Amino acid sequence: MGNFIEFQNVTFRYEVEGEETPETLRDFSISFQKGDFVAVLGHNGCGKSTLAKLCNAIELPQRGRILVNGLDTADEENVLTIRQQVGMVFQNPDNQIVATIVEDDVAFGPENLGVLPAEIRQRVDDALKSVGMYDFRFFEPHKLSGGQKQRVAIAGIIAMQPECIILDEPTAMLDPQGRKDVMKTVKMLNRDFGITVIFITHYMDEAVQANRVVVMNEGKILLDGTPKDVFTQTKLLEDAGLEVPQATQLAALLRADGYDVPKDILDMDELYDAVTALVPHP
Amino acid sequence: MITDITIGQYYKTESLVHRLDARMKIILTILFVVIIFLCKNYLSLALMALLTVVSILLSKVPFKMFLKSIKPLLLIILITAVLNIFYIHKGEVLFSWWKISVTTGGLSTALFMAVRIICLIMSSSILTYTTVPTLLTDAIERLLSPLKVFHIQVHTLAMMMTLALRFIPTLIEEIERITNAQKARGADFESGSFLQRVKAMIPILIPLFVSAFRRAYELSFAMSCRCYHGGEGRTRMKQMRLRWPDFLALGLFICVMAGVILLNHFFGAVI
Repeated sequence: MGNFIEFQNVTFRYEVEGEETPETLRDFSISFQKGDFVAVLGHNGCGKSTLAKLCNAIELPQRGRILVNGLDTADEENVLTIRQQVGMVFQNPDNQIVATIVEDDVAFGPENLGVLPAEIRQRVDDALKSVGMYDFRFFEPHKLSGGQKQRVAIAGIIAMQPECIILDEPTAMLDPQGRKDVMKTVKMLNRDFGITVIFITHYMDEAVQANRVVVMNEGKILLDGTPKDVFTQTKLLEDAGLEVPQATQLAALLRADGYDVPKDILDMDELYDAVTALVPHP
Repeated sequence: MITDITIGQYYKTESLVHRLDARMKIILTILFVVIIFLCKNYLSLALMALLTVVSILLSKVPFKMFLKSIKPLLLIILITAVLNIFYIHKGEVLFSWWKISVTTGGLSTALFMAVRIICLIMSSSILTYTTVPTLLTDAIERLLSPLKVFHIQVHTLAMMMTLALRFIPTLIEEIERITNAQKARGADFESGSFLQRVKAMIPILIPLFVSAFRRAYELSFAMSCRCYHGGEGRTRMKQMRLRWPDFLALGLFICVMAGVILLNHFFGAVI
């Protein structure tokens, strides 16, 4: 599968008048494959949100270029096509819902694209069904929980029929149940619809569920690989100010104490199996 | 609960008036205002009052909701009536003291004016009680769209109204949160003189404004991410369609207007 989004030697800094700002990204190159599920990790200010904004031409790089499906984000004429193909979900669900009724909000994107009314209706219904919010279509957004609002926001993106969804810490403001529901929805979109997902987060247990994990630190890529490759680099992660998933942490401690536990444990189930294997069965 | 607030005055129920096209309802309300100012005698006014009552009954909105809508304007109605009583000197003098005199003509005009204002308020209340605010802004956008010829950004105005409606509950929640946070820090909003209480609002207003600007900034990002680029080339999921009840209602209003003009003509003017 080909590269869907490609960063070629991108340098970017936020321009503030009369101030010398540091470079957020420096000589940054990365590519995301079609249909992949990538988690981007990093502590605050490492440039991960900037990465998201560069992907759909909200910000433009000072040097280097970004290609989305072969289209350069710097070209004014490509902007609408790129934004239709690369949808974006933000952290605060309240600040991305435009309409006073759920179904009207989901219709907002297709309406902007000039889709015909009957087809918008169809897309809105399908999108709401796929995120499990169809029963709430006549609700006012402020009567929904955070997780539900975030799923409505995701439906609003799906209705635009994008190739790729970028989620910028979509679960940061949610309760555990909301987090679980959003994560389930995102995984389903990737699996069943083949939508490329770029999931920016600082929750390790969410990053573990991706196919590929990219760890960023000070505008550079620190680690890039499968969850197992990345999370076994305990030392590097901790130096970057990131925590290793709890199960991995505990496994490392057990290893240090001389127990024979595999190195690449990522979640509680794997840890449970490893520990029970240690105990001799009667 | 603060999340139970409803925006605007919409009264949720099923009725003929609720189902009318929002654009037609706006036009009918304007037409109503025009006709009621054409009324020159009690018979024509009575016809308009009848129209108001019939519309209210058809809307299935409880009558006490309409009384509630008059309450805040009661003072204005009274002042208008009282001024009319004392300033109009026509007909028989009923009562006279010093420079003040009350005439039958004055009383009659006062009554006429009061009924006229009450009908006006009630008719516009029917519009707001039976139409969802977003539909109302939509309808205004569509009705004003000919103004595009004069380079007036009708779509932008309508979008601003819609967003304002959308963010009212969000900002109310925010005010509650900030108030609680400031109370937890020992702020006192309930005691002190009026001036002191106004001053106490400053620690609420400043964070509210800061957060409103931040929200606006994020919202504009989110909107451009969803390909928003103004009204150009934009379609709508919900189409507004005029159906036969809309034309029937318009026909009814035009008949009433003709009736009012005829009544004015044949029964003379009292005003």
